[in-house]
Amino acid sequence: MNHETDVVIVGAGPAGLFAAYYAGFRGLSVAVLDSLPEPGGQITAMYPEKRISDIAGFPAIRGRELVERLLEQAAPFRPRYLLGHRAETLEPGFAVTTHRGTRITAKAVIVAGGIGTFTPRPLPAAEQFAGTGLAYFVRRLDDYAGTDVVIVGGGDSAFDWAEALHPLAKSVTVVHRRDTFRAHPGTVAAVRASPVEIVTGAQVTKVIGHEAVESVEITHGDEAWTSPCQRIIAALGFTANLGPLLKWGVDVHNRRHIPVGPSMAASLPGVFAAGDINDYPGKVRLIAVGFGEAATAVNNAAHFIDPGQPVFPGHSTDAGAS
Amino acid sequence: MPYVITDACIDVMDRSCMEECPVDCIYEGKRKLYINPAECIDCGACEPACPVTAISLDTKVPSGKAEFAEDNARFFEEPLPGRGEAVGAPGGAAVTGAIGVDTELVSGFGGAG
Repeated sequence: MNHETDVVIVGAGPAGLFAAYYAGFRGLSVAVLDSLPEPGGQITAMYPEKRISDIAGFPAIRGRELVERLLEQAAPFRPRYLLGHRAETLEPGFAVTTHRGTRITAKAVIVAGGIGTFTPRPLPAAEQFAGTGLAYFVRRLDDYAGTDVVIVGGGDSAFDWAEALHPLAKSVTVVHRRDTFRAHPGTVAAVRASPVEIVTGAQVTKVIGHEAVESVEITHGDEAWTSPCQRIIAALGFTANLGPLLKWGVDVHNRRHIPVGPSMAASLPGVFAAGDINDYPGKVRLIAVGFGEAATAVNNAAHFIDPGQPVFPGHSTDAGAS
Repeated sequence: MPYVITDACIDVMDRSCMEECPVDCIYEGKRKLYINPAECIDCGACEPACPVTAISLDTKVPSGKAEFAEDNARFFEEPLPGRGEAVGAPGGAAVTGAIGVDTELVSGFGGAG
């Protein structure tokens, strides 16, 4: 599949989503890629329920809600989202190809890749059942209807999915290695009050089945038992690294950060970086700062694409869109 | 504003935090684990994972343990005893494996070393 766009944004975290809005505001067509199946980057993956108190104009906003509002803000400009696509290669001029073979040609590139590509932590005992009972993300709730579901993990994703699935699943069990949970206490309380069974200090040590998962062995200290199970969800968090981006021919410091100048331009003309991934003297890694960098990056990209266009976009209050 | 590991980790080294860290920035010394301040993204995933409550934000280190905040940085920024170069920011503990050496503060701690 091929797409053509003015600007391609790598990363659908807060900086990338705000860059999508700004590209639209500048009249540029835009595509946004992310390796995760949902937008929101670190917010969605690590703290969707936390209240963020340092976003200008919002005394406090839940992570999840901030992501929804960013999507809403960009929506009038119809960005093309390519979620679940890891950006693999960058050709000069530009073309970005994803790990699923999709190729996007663009006149400028904004890298808003945060801490890099997220990879779900594996659940070794279940690895052979990837696609036949083991999942790392819940994509369609209906796939779990009438099944015995075992969710491994103690974070927000594990508890969100437990809460969403128990009304339609036959049974839901959360298995967590420790006695404490990283998930929001409110969600934990809601799940505790539901029919979901929570097993702490325990691990899934064996997965039994022929072509698909039939049961799991849960071990708690010296005790082990087998439970019927057709669906396992490994919600063990993520690891992240820049991965393929390191080979794009753009300077990267410490395998982590892309140095930029005041226009957010990276070492390759036409490539800009915004948000946690970039670096310059005095850099402060906050969402609030990333938003400003996204605006700077996109407006300079607009000028790069068409030098007849000014860097300054004009004021949004004058744009007619009320 | 990274997270740091204090003396409670010494000779415990449970390593649960290493499994939680999304950027693999917790490195193994001989008696203790250390968080790399140049690589930590302040996400806080490690803090509840520690069974001995050894982890806190560097600005919230319990009183009397401030030296461990500096010592976490020293582990990476200065050459460790017997090593020619500082560990620096190698891009993840999986890249280096266990370092196997401690800072002077930790190796001499409590006389157990």
